[in-house]
Amino acid sequence: MIRLRNVNKAYKGNVVALRDVSIDIAKQEFVFMVGPTGSGKSTLIRLLIKEDKPDSGRIWVAGKDIGQLSSWKVPLLRRNIGCVFQDFKLLPNKTAYENVAFALEVIGRPAHVIRQQVPQVLDLVGLSKKRDNFPNEMSGGEQQRVSIARAFVNRPLILLADEPTGNLDPSTSVGIMRLLDRINRTGTTVVMATHDSSIVDTMRRRVIELDRGVLVRDQTRGVYGVNA
Amino acid sequence: MSVNLEYVFRETASNLRRNLSMASAALLTVAVSLTLVGGALLVKRGVDRATVQWKGNVELSIFMKADAAQAESDAIDRNLKTMPEVKSYRYVSKPEAFEEFKKIFANEPDVRDSLTVDQIPPSYRVVPRQAEQTKTVGQRFEDTAGVFRVSYAKEEVDALVSVTNFLQIMLWGIAVVLLGAASLLILNTIRMAIFARRREVAVMKLVGATNWFIRVPFMLEGLLQGLAGAAMAFGAVWIGRSIVQDRIAGARNDIQLFKQFLVTGADVTGTGVLLLIVGVVVGTVGSALAVSRFLDV
Repeated sequence: MIRLRNVNKAYKGNVVALRDVSIDIAKQEFVFMVGPTGSGKSTLIRLLIKEDKPDSGRIWVAGKDIGQLSSWKVPLLRRNIGCVFQDFKLLPNKTAYENVAFALEVIGRPAHVIRQQVPQVLDLVGLSKKRDNFPNEMSGGEQQRVSIARAFVNRPLILLADEPTGNLDPSTSVGIMRLLDRINRTGTTVVMATHDSSIVDTMRRRVIELDRGVLVRDQTRGVYGVNA
Repeated sequence: MSVNLEYVFRETASNLRRNLSMASAALLTVAVSLTLVGGALLVKRGVDRATVQWKGNVELSIFMKADAAQAESDAIDRNLKTMPEVKSYRYVSKPEAFEEFKKIFANEPDVRDSLTVDQIPPSYRVVPRQAEQTKTVGQRFEDTAGVFRVSYAKEEVDALVSVTNFLQIMLWGIAVVLLGAASLLILNTIRMAIFARRREVAVMKLVGATNWFIRVPFMLEGLLQGLAGAAMAFGAVWIGRSIVQDRIAGARNDIQLFKQFLVTGADVTGTGVLLLIVGVVVGTVGSALAVSRFLDV
């Protein structure tokens, strides 16, 4: 589903974000990406949705070499990838329902599809009762559920989550992880960057560790720290 | 890709409503700039027309000696009548010329009272069929008996034309500069409106909206602003022209110069259509350019 081959990326001033990274992630896998701040996790996510280009190396997503992708096809790539962020990125002037519906509207889905799918996915994330609330009327955990609903409503092949529990307390985080696990079991490949050791240790999924842009560990059923 | 028209219109309407102050600023900017552009163009049109009239009325005056004999005068009259180059001519008698003289120097009694009717030369005012024939006609009479002097209006008209040519170039320059300023202001206003909504644009990009899909509501917004602004400018120019025209028609003056400075309703309509086109193009292209900055991947 995702394949990276010898990917290098440096920012201005020779700050190395990724150095010779090669990774294979199969369909339906659940992968944790760990490593300290600045180790290149977020850069990797940016490269996968082609928000940025690698300096060298090649990246395949869903069987396509995205380096070959013409710029007008980038939106189509992104429709196959749902994204969840630490800061939710919800629109403050839209309700939970509207935030989710917006994601379908702007890719031109017809109204009857939107009316059918949005309540479904809000039900999946457990927010049917809060559908008309605005983001500032919801807790952080609820806002993150809305953002997951938005990422998943189009049934993407891949869900990328960049520290989705970074702003949430531990018990709320557990709920979010259950949700991501559920989404993973529907057949969606999930890649989650995180700092949360307890989550990684509890879930016992594949762990990829980056350190200063270098892939230092790739472990099936791994834990957060090597010595844990 | 299916285009959801309902989405586009709803989005455009809510953009305009939410950014009312910003939208009005852009609209008024367009209106004011295009009014000035339209005004400049119409003044230019009026000057054009007046110039053509002045050029068409190039005449020459054959001044007789004040003591010329009637026979000499009759000879010239006959000559003018038979010349094919002469379109029309008019005899200005001594009393007529004296009246004209008194009118011109009405405010200067010293000059006015220094001459008597007898001292004023009568003259023939001749309009040639073509402006180029003025000199040929004039030369024919320069040495004729009883003729005091042949005077050509050509020199004066030439001076006038060179002034109006300069005036026209200046008006064009002003119109172009104003249009440029209007375009930049629209671009800036829409850019600010989009900047206020950059979060939405970011989310749209994230979930895979195509660039055109993001652009279209903004472009429609710009189009509406440009159109509304141009319509206001159209109205302002129309009203302004009516007021000026009424003034000229109502003023009790004999000055042909102003009577000839005529701008027809068709001129205003033509200029108005031009303004509408410019408004629409500037608004649409301006917002497309402004939004492009936020679409860079």
